[in-house]
Amino acid sequence: MATAAEPRSGAVRVILTLCVFKLLSGAETSSRQLTIELNPGSPLAPPGGDLLHVRAVGDNDTLHYLLSSQGAPTLLLVHTDSPSSTVQVNWIQFLARNSSGSLKVEPESSVMYSGGVVFSRLLEYDDVNDTAEPSNFFPPYELQNFTWSRLQLSGPTALLCGAATTFTNGSLCLQLSVFDSEGRGQTWPRLLHSANSSQLEVRLDGVLPRAMHSRFLLELQAVGGAYPLSRVEVRHSIDDEFTPSIFKVSEWVSVENSSSDVLGFAQWKPVAYRQRHPVLEDATPCHHSEPQPQSGEATAASSALIRAFYPEPKVVGLNVSFGLAGEKFYNSTKFLSWTLLVGVGSPPVDFFSPLVIAIMAVGLGTPMILLLLGGVYVYVRKRAASTTAYEPIN
Amino acid sequence: MADFDERRSLLGDEDEDRETPRGPGRPMLAICDPSHLLHRVVVLLFMCFLGFGSYFCYDNPAALQTQVIQDMNLNTAKFMQLYAWYSWPNVVLCFFGGFLLDRVFGVRLGTIIFSLFVCVGQVIFATGALVNRFWLMEVGRFVFGIGGESLAVAQNTYAVNWFKGKELNLVFGLQLSMARLGSTVNMNIMGWVYSKVEDMVGSSGHTALGGSLMIAAVTCLFSLVCALVLAFFDKRAARILQKEEGNTGEVIKLTDVKDFPITLWLIFIICVGYYVAVFPFIGLGQVFFIEKFNFSPAQARAVNSIVYIISAPASPILGFIVDRTGRNVVWVIIAVVATLCAHMMLAFTFWNPWIAMSLLGVSYSLLACALWPMVAFVVPEHQLGTAYGFMQSIQNLGLALIAMAAGAILDTKGYLVLEVFFCACICLALMAVVMLYFVDYLRGGHLNRSASDRAKLQKEATSAAEMKRRPSRLTKGELARLVPMSAFGLRNRYLSRLGTQLPDHYSTHLSSLAHRSVLK
Repeated sequence: MATAAEPRSGAVRVILTLCVFKLLSGAETSSRQLTIELNPGSPLAPPGGDLLHVRAVGDNDTLHYLLSSQGAPTLLLVHTDSPSSTVQVNWIQFLARNSSGSLKVEPESSVMYSGGVVFSRLLEYDDVNDTAEPSNFFPPYELQNFTWSRLQLSGPTALLCGAATTFTNGSLCLQLSVFDSEGRGQTWPRLLHSANSSQLEVRLDGVLPRAMHSRFLLELQAVGGAYPLSRVEVRHSIDDEFTPSIFKVSEWVSVENSSSDVLGFAQWKPVAYRQRHPVLEDATPCHHSEPQPQSGEATAASSALIRAFYPEPKVVGLNVSFGLAGEKFYNSTKFLSWTLLVGVGSPPVDFFSPLVIAIMAVGLGTPMILLLLGGVYVYVRKRAASTTAYEPIN
Repeated sequence: MADFDERRSLLGDEDEDRETPRGPGRPMLAICDPSHLLHRVVVLLFMCFLGFGSYFCYDNPAALQTQVIQDMNLNTAKFMQLYAWYSWPNVVLCFFGGFLLDRVFGVRLGTIIFSLFVCVGQVIFATGALVNRFWLMEVGRFVFGIGGESLAVAQNTYAVNWFKGKELNLVFGLQLSMARLGSTVNMNIMGWVYSKVEDMVGSSGHTALGGSLMIAAVTCLFSLVCALVLAFFDKRAARILQKEEGNTGEVIKLTDVKDFPITLWLIFIICVGYYVAVFPFIGLGQVFFIEKFNFSPAQARAVNSIVYIISAPASPILGFIVDRTGRNVVWVIIAVVATLCAHMMLAFTFWNPWIAMSLLGVSYSLLACALWPMVAFVVPEHQLGTAYGFMQSIQNLGLALIAMAAGAILDTKGYLVLEVFFCACICLALMAVVMLYFVDYLRGGHLNRSASDRAKLQKEATSAAEMKRRPSRLTKGELARLVPMSAFGLRNRYLSRLGTQLPDHYSTHLSSLAHRSVLK
């Protein structure tokens, strides 16, 4: 790397050009104004869980992020084409959880897209033969029955922790990060995010497994009015510099029937980490099952936010399983973290870092320049030599 | 002249061959008669297996990468230390291996001692795994490294001693094939051995790892037995034929370094830049193929060993081509560019790695055939030992440092950046070879001459040398014009003395060329 670090000035120009190009091409909203509000319109903290509302205002649109732990933890995204749309909550109806329409985004005509992700169940199975094929399930943990803590806010992130009544210790935590501009997560898997997406990190920390060879699965349900996230595309990426040794990105996308335009997405890399501050060896691969349509009513019953916003939710569910055959069991570190990016529009696509571009530019450019300079020098010398050589004859 | 001496002894040997054995009075069975071909074939068998253990065990870590990392709780940087520790002793030993063999131990005792080092090193390595102490494994690799490279030198010396002027090229070829066989078998069999030991022990973990490494140590023990048998045969042959103990004939003078021309330093840069992008990559390759290309572990090991498999047949063929065409610098440029392409394929595409690895295998053999003989063109014959020793030494230094760096880069930045880093190393080699081309061009283009030009020059040089013996017939000015040419001719003759079936660098009296990077 030292070879590339010093003669960098030439490459800097290349990178700058590339950056400018990227900025110009990515003409979508690149930054948003965030306003964070806990339990909007409620005089006191409601029993049974908080409702977080993050209003992300762009130049001519607004993204509403709603996170609630009334029932199963749910993240709802509503994209409106007006920079002044608002969220109205009828708290009595919302807490009663029996009719839709208690949570509205106004004006309703401005809503362009809405989609939600419900974390419905945590599944555990005993992998006696170390095959990592889910079977021998223990009774699942229903996340709607967890006792959820109050939301802890710090800046644009919110932490929600919960535990089943049967847990002696440990917890399942969800950390939501909302972004005002493009960037990249600080810790692995260092997902690239735009201002149109939010990141959810799921951590299963210190839970006592019910068997020595326990592995876990997380059940996710995607909810939408018309087009919930339906199919999962696994993209191969040659670039693993931000998530070492992971060459795939899974994208669970919502598409209109006829078009190929992506309305909304959930994106993740098929990797979970077994330590809070992971090194490469703590990475454990994960797998997802095929998405299956599910009953909208059951999901609405489990999550207050879904019940309140969608009159007739459409639901598609899938399981994410952690660990492959031969990988260490949950018991080894009693920690798992997995990160999910949820947003509207097309999922962000990784690009080579300036470091890689600089090294390749310098590495390939210098021999070329040497070749050119050498060729010119030799040519000039030869010309000079040939003229002087013939002079004495005249 | 050395040339003459060699040819004379060569003829002499052949004469002896036809005579009846000068045994102790009574005639011996052919198989027991040291001057008979049959006996030499038996000796050859032991000679080949002498190096088998060391080659088998050198790439043990690469073959068991996932297992070593998992069982010993390592990260990749620590894992690569196993390779770095192998290289460290050789930074120094490259200079002294030949000296130790010639002056201190003699080839028989030396071979046994180096075999012992290899054996003990591997046993320590395995014990470290058994008792779950990683530092002990590192000590094992260090001891193993002391023996490994020098053993190759000893093996070469034996071969020259027994087969000089007879079947030497063939013998070198066979040893080469055995070395590659060792590496390949190791790559493809160790995973299976591990799983068997795992079944036997009943659990994976450091015990299974230690067990399988102990089994690998059996090959070293086998090589040690070969060393003992060879010593016996050699001593017996010396008694019967009254011949002397073999000699590497290597002279190392460190003060020569200050006289090295710039072209030699450029060759050093090519050597280091190139090899650090090949060996550490192979060390890390298995998991790379599994994770990026979704290969099964067995497939990954197979594709990782293809470089060794390809270079076995490719080396003699490419060596022949390079010999016939000359133009070494152009060949080196081709090899370096091909390797760069292979690495860029691995870095930036999902193309089947068999393509890239095969290209890497071919270009790697081509580089060995074209690069190593160039040293002989740029330094005088009496400095060759030093130059090759120095080249090996900084190459080992580079390997040790880059092995550690590669592990650390992989741990923090992933495979793409690692591959880009290897590409950068290759680019460094490319810069050096482009500069070498121009420097050489400006100095008259000796390195890049075609083979026919070289033959012509050699002829001229010989006649010039003859004329020199009759100085009265030449004016001083003409002499001055001819002198540099005859010096070049001298070096050229040295090269032409080497056989054409094998690449040039299998010089009979340069033990430093027996080192791993060239042999493998």
